[in-house]
Amino acid sequence: MSILEYNGSGVVAMCGKNCVAIASDMRYGVQQTTVATDMHKVYKMHDKVYIGMAGLATDMQTLVQRFRFRLKMYELREERKIKPNVFANLVSSMLYQKRFGPYFVEPVIAGLGDKNKPFICAMDLIGAPVYTDNFLVSGTSSEELYGVCEAMYRPNLEPDDLFETVSQCLQAAVDRDCLAGWGAEVYVICPDRVIHKTLKSRQD
Amino acid sequence: MSRRYDQSTTTFSPEGRLHQVEYAMEAINNAGTCVGIVDPNGNGIVLAAEKRVVSKLLAPSKISEKTYPIDDHICCLVAGFSSDAAILIQEARLGAQRYLYTYQEPVPVEQSVKSICNYKQSYTQFGGLRPFGVAFLFAGYDINNGFQLYQTDPSGNYSGWKATVIGQNNQAGKSILKTDYNETNLTPNNNNNENNNNNENPLTPSINLAIKILLKTMDSSTPDSSRFEITLLTKNKRDDNEVDVQYMKLNDKEIKYYLDGVVTEEEKKKKNEASTSSDI
Repeated sequence: MSILEYNGSGVVAMCGKNCVAIASDMRYGVQQTTVATDMHKVYKMHDKVYIGMAGLATDMQTLVQRFRFRLKMYELREERKIKPNVFANLVSSMLYQKRFGPYFVEPVIAGLGDKNKPFICAMDLIGAPVYTDNFLVSGTSSEELYGVCEAMYRPNLEPDDLFETVSQCLQAAVDRDCLAGWGAEVYVICPDRVIHKTLKSRQD
Repeated sequence: MSRRYDQSTTTFSPEGRLHQVEYAMEAINNAGTCVGIVDPNGNGIVLAAEKRVVSKLLAPSKISEKTYPIDDHICCLVAGFSSDAAILIQEARLGAQRYLYTYQEPVPVEQSVKSICNYKQSYTQFGGLRPFGVAFLFAGYDINNGFQLYQTDPSGNYSGWKATVIGQNNQAGKSILKTDYNETNLTPNNNNNENNNNNENPLTPSINLAIKILLKTMDSSTPDSSRFEITLLTKNKRDDNEVDVQYMKLNDKEIKYYLDGVVTEEEKKKKNEASTSSDI
């Protein structure tokens, strides 16, 4: 079994009208055993930048600590918060630095950039970024997520509609994946507030 | 006589002194005054400093001249060479983040101060490099030791204080602290301030004392609020029982408010003294 499928995960990010959503499942598994159902895979870097990571849990946790280190130094030096596209470049560099002994994570970054323009970006484990304006997926349930997002996504959704769409997409996709699921967490990032909800889902 | 032994950092004089280090400490005494006061009631720390270069032509930058945050819970005041300070502050910031990365806990204030002091000390013992011409006032909060204030000097020595002054005219400032720093004076309700209201910042008496000291140490008698830099370090208890340390730099309006308060108080006191002496 691939090392990227050791823990199991499903992460999705979508762009809406002046908002972005990022969501993940909450399963923490060791191959087929489910160890915990409260594992966060989406982390707040600051009010307008969130990163979700699919892949090996230990690498995800270490990377979050390393990002927080770099972000704190950035904020102390530049006296401002980092923009999501700049943060995406930082993530990409940090991953490529380990090109020949990589971190086994595939991150998805979501945030609001200049003038609160929605921004999403996903990367492979060595930092190759892809930028779109609709949706991006990652994790063991990525193939299911592609299918369901392609069918249900519409551009320029308002925050509440975006929340519904992301939640339905994530739930439908992870239900088909034995390694992901056991709860879900959704963040909708708007210019003035962040909607954070935990979803009740099939516990299997 | 000491000229023979003061050219190199790494040479002791016959009296057992390191002249280069002492000369570095002299450099601090010409720097803008810095005051640090720990509130005796545990409400926080007040850091106040006199800005040296105030010119209309200076571009207003977000970067302050004297006060710098090191991490969320530690900040410092600089007296001495700003360029030397910048190196040390960068070291302190990296050190704090490395500790946080390793232990997932904010670095205890004394550890941060100690590591900077060890760094400074190494420039007084080997390498043939000159010492850093900077003294810091480090202020911070940690969960085990509460609010702390530390003073460091170019020799790499540090000490913890309840309140202290460094920089120009620090002796005058310290003598005011000796008489005025006590719990009764610095508790808001005991203050004779007429503007006493229940929403008053509990650090107000400490802020007033800091301003009073700066007025004494400044070389101008008509102070402008743009020459002051005042920062407060306080803590809020969060809902989940965690402590949030807040680092708040006062803006121009707030400084003016406190400054006016202190200036009026001082004038009132002078008038009272003048009237009582004329009765005799």
